Amino acid sequence: MATRKLAFVVRSLPYKTEASRLALTHAISSQTVEIYLNDGDLVEASISYVGDGVFNVMKNQQAGKHYGITTNEGHAKNTLLLDLKVLICKEDLDKFGLTEENLVMDADDLGGDMKANIVSYSEIQKEMETADHLLFC
Amino acid sequence: MKLAVLMSDYRTGSDIIDRLSAEKLGIILVGNGVYHAAAKEDGKACAILDKKAEFFALTEDFESRGFTADKLDSRVKAVNYSDVVDLIFNDYEKVIWL
Amino acid sequence: MGKLTIGTFSSLVGSMSLDFAVKLAEAAVKKGHNVDFWMSGNATMLAKKGQKAFKDYSFLSKTLQEMLATGNFNITACEACAEARGYHKEDCPEGFQRKSMDWYLASTFEADRVLHIGGD
Repeated sequence: MATRKLAFVVRSLPYKTEASRLALTHAISSQTVEIYLNDGDLVEASISYVGDGVFNVMKNQQAGKHYGITTNEGHAKNTLLLDLKVLICKEDLDKFGLTEENLVMDADDLGGDMKANIVSYSEIQKEMETADHLLFC
Repeated sequence: MKLAVLMSDYRTGSDIIDRLSAEKLGIILVGNGVYHAAAKEDGKACAILDKKAEFFALTEDFESRGFTADKLDSRVKAVNYSDVVDLIFNDYEKVIWL
Repeated sequence: MGKLTIGTFSSLVGSMSLDFAVKLAEAAVKKGHNVDFWMSGNATMLAKKGQKAFKDYSFLSKTLQEMLATGNFNITACEACAEARGYHKEDCPEGFQRKSMDWYLASTFEADRVLHIGGD
């Protein structure tokens, strides 16, 4: 029985490329990975938003209205319905003048009980150090 | 941690490199990342090379872009794909792509 | 010998990052390592058979088939990403697999090293 920790680090802006969206969908897929593993083995994913990546968790994304596609906001909310650790870099929020009022911080409206955590970059560095593998997107 | 960064871009990614800290850091310049090793702006070498790290540049990629090994900054060692595999498996524990 | 899992989102045409991933995989396989190669997003373009070689564009099919023949190389495309691009099961080259994203995460479980190329 073992657990492998994967740290997804989202640093890219949403929509122009698929990178950040795929980071979220891959991280979410950690919830069903056991079908490929031996009993008791686990893959645990976390998601950290750094640099430009913090824009992925903006509220009120309307890509559905304008392009008919799911939003990164929706995917970010889905990560909070699951047992994923979500970290958002405080220094980058400060740089862009963003606060938690602007961000998807929970999925209370969908019945989720996880919260996103606004943390200093040093906490994200620690998350990277404790992970087995790093996946930058 | 012992971290290898595969740096594939010239104009982006430096912000991440600036923040990263690792007990042992290797920066492997690949793709357009090789310009960090060979290009000079206003006569100055790229600031990324001042980072406390070991630097490598992929021969296939700097040669593809018109540079030769003798044009690389003295802090950068030329490597090939086989060397990169060995670096990843033997010298570092984690690998990221920027 | 170790196991390397490479995941990539990069396009076959329009980016050289997929070339890097394939050449790195090739070098690893030649050294006796096992490689799992995962393609998501635009990288699934690599999982479309019938590609023709033009000098202006990357052509990686031959290298991939040679690696598959070693038995130490596994190549798998994200099924949803491929379907979204109109590549169906019957379009997949011989030896390639199509799976959901959790396959990739499972591959990392036993990997000694993971290289995730999350973008072009």
